[in-house]
Amino acid sequence: MGSLEPFNRLVKLAARAFYDDISMKGDNQPKTSRGDNRGMAVVVLDALTRRQWVREEDLAKSLKLHSKQLRRILRFFEEEKLVTRDHRKESAKGAKIYSAAAAAAGDGQSGTKEGEEKVKLHTHSYCCLDYAQICDVVRYRIHRMKKTLKDELDSRNTVQHYICPNCKKRYSAFDALQLVSYTDEYFHCENCNGELVAESDKLASEEMGDGDDNARKRRREKLNDMQQRIDEQLKPLQAQLKRVKDLPAPEFGSLQSWERLNIGAFAHGDPSAADSSRNAQGQYNGTPMPYLGETKVEVALSGSGAKEEGAESGTDGTVMKVLPPWMVREGMNITKEQRGETSNTTKGDEKSEGKDEKKQDSKGDEKSIQDEYIKAYYEALKKRQEEEDAKRMQEEGHTLSSESHAKRLLGTKTKREDGDVEDEGVEWEEEQLAGNTAETYKFVDLNAEAPESGDEEDDIDWEEG
Amino acid sequence: MFFHIVLERNMQLHPRHFGPHLRDKLVAKLMKDVEGTCSGRHGFVVAITGVEDIGKGLIREGTGFVTFPVKYQCVVFRPFKGEILEAVVTMVNKMGFFAEAGPVQIFVSNHLIPDDMEFQSGDVPNYTTSDGSVKIQKESEVRLKIIGTRVDATEIFCIGTIKDDFLGVISDPGAAV
Repeated sequence: MGSLEPFNRLVKLAARAFYDDISMKGDNQPKTSRGDNRGMAVVVLDALTRRQWVREEDLAKSLKLHSKQLRRILRFFEEEKLVTRDHRKESAKGAKIYSAAAAAAGDGQSGTKEGEEKVKLHTHSYCCLDYAQICDVVRYRIHRMKKTLKDELDSRNTVQHYICPNCKKRYSAFDALQLVSYTDEYFHCENCNGELVAESDKLASEEMGDGDDNARKRRREKLNDMQQRIDEQLKPLQAQLKRVKDLPAPEFGSLQSWERLNIGAFAHGDPSAADSSRNAQGQYNGTPMPYLGETKVEVALSGSGAKEEGAESGTDGTVMKVLPPWMVREGMNITKEQRGETSNTTKGDEKSEGKDEKKQDSKGDEKSIQDEYIKAYYEALKKRQEEEDAKRMQEEGHTLSSESHAKRLLGTKTKREDGDVEDEGVEWEEEQLAGNTAETYKFVDLNAEAPESGDEEDDIDWEEG
Repeated sequence: MFFHIVLERNMQLHPRHFGPHLRDKLVAKLMKDVEGTCSGRHGFVVAITGVEDIGKGLIREGTGFVTFPVKYQCVVFRPFKGEILEAVVTMVNKMGFFAEAGPVQIFVSNHLIPDDMEFQSGDVPNYTTSDGSVKIQKESEVRLKIIGTRVDATEIFCIGTIKDDFLGVISDPGAAV
């Protein structure tokens, strides 16, 4: 599972780069704005990155999609070679084997509601991302894009066309031999003997009028621009591809082998097969325990109001040791196991996403800013405490040596504190005056320290609010 | 690309050749008829390398001509898209230049000539780089890549490009002199 994350990120980037504006519409459906489901493809791909083999009905259910709609999307992705699918006829029992396997796989998304009363054979479709193939597909796609553009830019492999400005007859370079005139250096029309002009081609064909240097130049600019934009916009994707290149692609195998594997792992008490899978096993006859994970994901999502992606990376968080009260608050019921499972992806991922992922919305930025802020704040706090500690040590030394000197120092210190601390300081001074021995002083000092830090906590709240 | 293949043809032989050297006459006629021709399917027949089989002749009624089915081995040349060829420039004009590689005519239009080469009209029209180091004119030898072919029944015409790595002039007649 450890190597899954970079691949998932690749899938997400690719989804956003290439399938963002793909509309899964049947041709017969009217194009209303309401039925606009562009971006659905991205959502489906994202959802698949969080699963292994998944029954399409379950996926549809958890995505709140109509299963037909989902099937259309999945068929499209199957054609695009991103997804492998498997169809089989099975009874409820067969479905249960899958469910058990899914639970054992610990992908946490197998919210199956398989009624026991279902005895009939149904054809169920399963789908799964084919990571190895995805890498190849994406690489090939980028390669083709670049090559096409480059060829176009160099006008390679393009057969020049010529047009007669008088009679509008068109010729291709294949006719060149017949068009040569021995009187001058131009091609001449066979009909009217007019001078032919080269026709600018393809991508800039809208400005057909003068196929001359000017049009060519404009076309080149356009292509150059396009090329630059491709380079720029695909940079994160290509970086990810490079990162992933040497990693072994996660392989789930066929549906059958996957099921066998997961059930097997679980039967051996594989530690990776989590608690919940034991649950599933316990009630093997009934419905396998649906993970609580999914709900949590959604909670975090709505809480941060982020895109699916953001929320996704937000939920998993072992990095989170340092992390953020706000995060904990939102994902309160995250189990430990879950945290462990999806560990160490969040922070780096999220941050880098904030940096290079263009489609990351402002929410993500906000998150990372908050993150940064909290980190910095903690650091400052720590520093200050250290300073204070050092000072106190110094003070103590001084107190021992000369009382009056200590008093003065203390005085300065209290002045440094805000108003709230003032009375505290006063009290302390009084006490100190009362009991002159070093021990009592120490004791009091400890007392005084506690409210002080408490005050600092208040301070945080105030700053945050 | 060259191929060594076996082709078949029905040869008609005039009755005057009937005699002790019939076979030689037949082969000589075959060579005369076939070499240098072009078929859309196989390309140019460059040379006949051997006769495999000569079938039974059939005498035509009325004329006395005899038809022999002849199987012969030959070398053919057929240009393909994407193939790299070396060719000799035959004509240069503003629209580009023509070159030929054996029997094949190739046209390289000016937008398939590298952008740094400019057309220079004059006594010897040519394409020259701005620093004058490379010059394409009549009789230059160029290495080019075929990007399109038009195959007729009797003719093959190609479009080539020299706008790619390692393409362009390979020997400059002007420099050699």
